[in-house]
Amino acid sequence: MPKHVTPLMDELEKGPWPSFVSDLKRQAEKNPQCWDIVGQMELSYKDKMTHWKHGGIVGVFGYGGGIVGRYSDVPAQFPGVAHFHTVRLNQPSSKFYRTDLLRKLCDLWEKHGSGMTNFHGSTGDLVLLGTRTEELEPLFYELTHELNWDLGGSGSNLRTPSCCLGKARCEWSCYDTQAACYGMTMKYQDEIHRPAFPYKFKFKFSGCANDCVAALARSDLSAIGTWRDQIRINQAEVKNYISGANKPNGGGVPGKTGFDIQKEVIALCPTGCMWMEGDTLKIDDAECTRCMHCLNVMPKALRPGLDQGASIMMGAKAPILDGAQLGTLIVPFIKMNPDGEFEELVEVIEKCWDWWMENGKNRERLGESIQRVGLPTFLRVMEIEALPQHVKEPRSNPYVFWRDEEVPGGFERDVKEFRKKHAQ
Amino acid sequence: MAMSIEELKEKILDKALNGPKAQLYVKDFHAIDPDASPRAVKNAANDLVKEGKMVFWSSGSTTMYAAKGRAKDEETREA
Ligand code: HEM
Ligand code: HEM
Ligand code: SF4
Ligand code: SF4
Repeated sequence: MPKHVTPLMDELEKGPWPSFVSDLKRQAEKNPQCWDIVGQMELSYKDKMTHWKHGGIVGVFGYGGGIVGRYSDVPAQFPGVAHFHTVRLNQPSSKFYRTDLLRKLCDLWEKHGSGMTNFHGSTGDLVLLGTRTEELEPLFYELTHELNWDLGGSGSNLRTPSCCLGKARCEWSCYDTQAACYGMTMKYQDEIHRPAFPYKFKFKFSGCANDCVAALARSDLSAIGTWRDQIRINQAEVKNYISGANKPNGGGVPGKTGFDIQKEVIALCPTGCMWMEGDTLKIDDAECTRCMHCLNVMPKALRPGLDQGASIMMGAKAPILDGAQLGTLIVPFIKMNPDGEFEELVEVIEKCWDWWMENGKNRERLGESIQRVGLPTFLRVMEIEALPQHVKEPRSNPYVFWRDEEVPGGFERDVKEFRKKHAQ
Repeated sequence: MAMSIEELKEKILDKALNGPKAQLYVKDFHAIDPDASPRAVKNAANDLVKEGKMVFWSSGSTTMYAAKGRAKDEETREA
């Protein structure tokens, strides 16, 4: 396959930043198929429209996900990308790889595909970009039999779960995010590999509210680590921050000296629940929203409480039908117990799925279903009492609707009795 | 009373083969047996794919079902 003349693509090699066009050209020296990616993209830029055909029936036997069909609509011009299917691989928890495995994977992918990869897609998968239909089964066979590596989710499946570094690296993790991610991946293999839902469904696991996998923004169900008791305060270390003995920002801001606890911590606490009494730091934990700000700024002095677990947020999504939205707090606290196979988490997940499989509309994300029926209805589905934290804004609708069981005597009445009194 | 799994599969396949729509969402099969759980309907449809009688069609973000031969095949479709 020859090189193409690509002045528009070449523009994207200029400037100081890394360029995917340069990467494509480098790979094309090894695998000439890649010249056709550059060529077809040039044509798309010229025509201001895509030349990919979207979707298809490709997959590997027994699976209904993990392979996404893509074809060129100008295959005569660019035969190298006539088929250009994407393969999603289930990334290891927290994306900890062994380099020998990565080398083997790259060799395998150059044998069966374009050699182009994406570490990682927005869902979290390791993405292999571009192969032909007839390569799929051989690739899958070697992937599973030699590398012991499985495909991830796509389509209306449970998508590959992902998690932050968690307890493997991070002192703030309030539960073992890797255990939860791996546990749910193994438990829900059928849902990952075969479509089960009205649309895609994503889980993500973050060990604390810093939310390093952006679960709150990207997943239909996110488990975000938190604690129920008090922030642990080491008052001696608080004093060391104030005196400058502990470097501000861990010494990460060159030239910065001095630390104003009032300005940098207390005034920035979103709920205003911190204050100094003399040289002692006080926190009203009942008001604290566990936002992590004060812990981030003074990690030596402040640590999460000891009664740890997770908050469950639901309904985040990107703008497809409606605008983008963040997850909404649904379950304030559950324990995340690996020894009990995360039974509280599983209960939440399955209660939600049972309802959504029946009530979600085609191609409607959970967040849109919740919006459609209203949060109070969804809270009843989840058997959660509404809390002040579920309220987003003061009410603007003056009507109050009561349900039968909330009214003494209910709404049932005897029509005949009623008519006797009124219809004569 | 929900249908037996075999009866459910038969009706699903019939809808996929003979219904007006060539490609169907899993929810389009729910009406076949309102007493069946959504999970049972999904499992029955997925079984038919395993048996090679139906295929999945996926855009990448969503998945539909079709009787073998009735799905839009991008590989042979003219642009
Ligand atoms: C104990 C008996 C009644 C009570 C407590 C009652 C109460 C109310 C209330 C609270 C409103 C809303 C007022 C507003 O928002 O401005 C209303 C409106 C209305 N009521 Fe009644 N009502 C009674 C009897 C009746 C009867 C007997 C009729 C007619 C035969 C009637 C006809 C209407 C109409 C037409 C309106 C709408 C007025 C408008 O357009 O602003 N109501 N009523
Ligand atoms: C050509 C005849 C009529 C016209 C053009 C008309 C027009 C309207 C309009 C524009 C409104 C306000 C709607 C709103 O603000 O949302 C209204 C309200 C109302 N009309 Fe009529 N109307 C007519 C006949 C009648 C008749 C014959 C009755 C009763 C027998 C009636 C009873 C009412 C009532 C009770 C309301 C208040 C409804 C509410 O507050 O929700 N109207 N009408
Ligand atoms: S989300 Fe929290 S626990 Fe997880 S890696 Fe980030 S800071 Fe650590
Ligand atoms: S975690 Fe956030 S809300 Fe809680 S005390 Fe610290 S800054 Fe305030």
